[in-house]
Amino acid sequence: MFADNWKISLRQVRRLLILDIFGLSSLMLPGILSSLTGADGVFCLILGAAGGWAFLWLIRKNLQNAQGDYYHYMKDTAGQIAGDAFMVFYYLYFVTLCGFALYQAATLVLTWLLPEGSYFWVSILLLLLAAYGTVRGIEGRARVYEIIFWFLGIPLLVMLFLALREVRTDYWAPLMYSKSGDFLQGTLACWVFLLPLTALLFLKPFCQKPEGLAGCGKCALIEVSVLNLAIYLVLLGVFGRNTLGVLKRPVITLMSMINLPGGFFTRQDVIMTSVWFLALFALMHTGAFQSTLVLKELFHESGNRYSMWISLILAFIISMGFFGNTFLMEVYEIYQKWIVLPGLTGILLILLLTYRIRRRTAREKEGEENEQ
Amino acid sequence: MAVQITSDLQENISQFEELFSDCADIKKRKVKVGQNLEKECYIAYIEVAVSSTEWKDSAVGKILQTLRELPEEKLVSYVEQNVEDISDSQPFATIEDAAQGMLTGDVLFFLEGYDKALKIPDKGYPGRGVYETESEKVIRGSNEGFSESIKLNTALIRKRLRSPHVKVKESFAGKRTHTNVDLVYMKDLIHPGMLEEIEKRLGEFEIDGALDSGIIEQLTEKRTYSPFPQFQTTQRPDRAAMAILEGRIVLLSDNSPVALILPATYNTFIQTSDDYYSRWEIASFTRMLRYLASFLAMTFPGLYLAVTNFHTQILPTDLLLSLAAARQGVPFPAVVEIILMEVAFELLREAGVRLPGANGNTIGIVGGLIIGQAAVDANIVSPIVVIVVALTALCSFAVPNEEFATAFRILKFLFIFLCGYLGFFGFLVGTLGILIHLSHLESFGIPYLSPFVGADLNGYRDERDTFLRLPLGLLRKRPIYTREGARTRLRFKRQDKGKS
Repeated sequence: MFADNWKISLRQVRRLLILDIFGLSSLMLPGILSSLTGADGVFCLILGAAGGWAFLWLIRKNLQNAQGDYYHYMKDTAGQIAGDAFMVFYYLYFVTLCGFALYQAATLVLTWLLPEGSYFWVSILLLLLAAYGTVRGIEGRARVYEIIFWFLGIPLLVMLFLALREVRTDYWAPLMYSKSGDFLQGTLACWVFLLPLTALLFLKPFCQKPEGLAGCGKCALIEVSVLNLAIYLVLLGVFGRNTLGVLKRPVITLMSMINLPGGFFTRQDVIMTSVWFLALFALMHTGAFQSTLVLKELFHESGNRYSMWISLILAFIISMGFFGNTFLMEVYEIYQKWIVLPGLTGILLILLLTYRIRRRTAREKEGEENEQ
Repeated sequence: MAVQITSDLQENISQFEELFSDCADIKKRKVKVGQNLEKECYIAYIEVAVSSTEWKDSAVGKILQTLRELPEEKLVSYVEQNVEDISDSQPFATIEDAAQGMLTGDVLFFLEGYDKALKIPDKGYPGRGVYETESEKVIRGSNEGFSESIKLNTALIRKRLRSPHVKVKESFAGKRTHTNVDLVYMKDLIHPGMLEEIEKRLGEFEIDGALDSGIIEQLTEKRTYSPFPQFQTTQRPDRAAMAILEGRIVLLSDNSPVALILPATYNTFIQTSDDYYSRWEIASFTRMLRYLASFLAMTFPGLYLAVTNFHTQILPTDLLLSLAAARQGVPFPAVVEIILMEVAFELLREAGVRLPGANGNTIGIVGGLIIGQAAVDANIVSPIVVIVVALTALCSFAVPNEEFATAFRILKFLFIFLCGYLGFFGFLVGTLGILIHLSHLESFGIPYLSPFVGADLNGYRDERDTFLRLPLGLLRKRPIYTREGARTRLRFKRQDKGKS
């Protein structure tokens, strides 16, 4: 009747996107921005959001043009070879995203929850959980995050509110002080963290009201940007530029410093880690699900078992790579900024332009035929 | 092959008696009828099921009386014209069908020259009658409970829903038990697909005996390996009636005082009848308590282990020190301590259920107080573990549905292991795993986590009856189980009423 129809609602899409984008960006961006730009990070966040907005515009236009699913739209618009090449690019993006989110989630667990645990087994456990979720389909995934959304959101907002009293506004200065190169790097970083919006392109066949997808993207973008801005201002106000720049996950460190009224819980970092753990898991799950979907489309697989296991094993290898060699983190950063960002934007631009040129040519041809 | 009933009474009797040979509980009698007592009839019934002391006043007694006053040639026509029409009597053309008719607890009647057998209603099998429910107690509301008689149970529902739209569809389950199974629903409220689905599922199995609705429940469930029940169960006719008013279907099985309600969701398991009879503030408060209880019944011992073994920094130092002091001298790790106490508690519970009423209560008290205290004194467990286990037990008792609470009781052990070895990470993994499982679980097409998920399908109205039970005046629409177009439950005749 209602369940198992492989359709998700717009509220589910919005919440999914918010968690996908929020987890990694709120965890990593404050440190990156602070070390690069200090208080100017606020402008980087705003400009990054503007970049995300432009990216979303491209997504919206392409979604409007696509009649069926995105893969067929790419093939119809840019041809079979280009369509397949684009899909491979998307696959690499999602599978590396999954691997990176897995690495982040596993290291988060090992840092805050299980210091004596094994990276190998923690990541295996997370992968198995992701596999279970992926097998259960998009409906199950969307429902999980629809449910936990406020369970994560409310404590976070409360903690941020409680942290306000620790904020020193003089740490918000000086403004306009950073180098333009650093500022550009910071802005690009903010933009890169909004790229999981790409998932919207593949959600059309699964959404009850596909026409509302872009609107969901907008809501998610605005909400996450506002939240990131608030978190950044609070963190900067509490730690100051220098300390914030060296902290690995400053937002969780902040949570360990906040005292709840009543004093029953002395430290909330363990509890608040769950917010980021679940958000990172959501992103990892998105990476796993989307890469499985892309691979399935590429190989015309009827089920999704092989695609899923291939994607998960690849993600595991990638995450082990990050864990074993920190140099790969730098490579990943370069890959995201200089290959993924231009690549994803470029694909959308190419598709949009090709579609328009084709449509114009078709119209001209039709006009000529009518004149004849 | 079925044996046809003929107008030859002797032939019919021999066929019937062959079928019921060596059945001492079946009483068979030949009776002379007609003015001159020249014709014979034959009656058969199950001892005890038919009143022999009030024979004269029973339907069959009166029929026999009348037949003795009529001329012989008019007997068959009288039976055909008058007796067949009396309430609940039923003619059968074959010996097997007639036998089946008698096994429902009524009298079977054969007449010389009449080529059918007639089932004549009597008092039926002995039953308990209407008693107070032993589970699902309420502070306010009816105390009537279902009994083992399906007829009585349908009547208890009908008594509350006096509408011709209430339909009762009868079928049978169990090849040898031939158990009556009734589907009770409101015709204009249910999704037709839901009725088709349950009928399809009922037809998908053939079992020798369906002695209780629990057997039907397990055989018609889709996700057999899930610990969560996909049917709601109730022993309360008012709960069943309420479900029918929400467009749900109630499945009654003969010999079972437990009705199954479909579809079921997490939210419906947490609701109780008196949620709607009490004021909304207290109803909401207790509802929230029950939600919390359902969560803690599964996770509390695990959380205790996670905090005391892995994340002691959460707790204030004083509390931590007192916890450590309480554990002094206990030789086991905390995981073993918890498992020991939990197993002991489950044993007590099992023993308490199996023992007769008063003894069962005694076992609970003796076990809880004496064994708990003795275990603490002997340094086998720490006092705090006794408190944790007792609180967990309280939480599981606060979940209104026994089958649903059982799922949490079982999953509690999974959380103990996960949290005992992985700390809070184990708790997160367990919670996420359960959430993923619940999120794909469904009951007859309705997501198990509805209306927390997919609330948009009914305009977010179903969320008004979840953690909070908003004032009845605001619950104007029926939930999503009801077919579209029939969801208005409450309409005020005065426009301004119910808005303030």
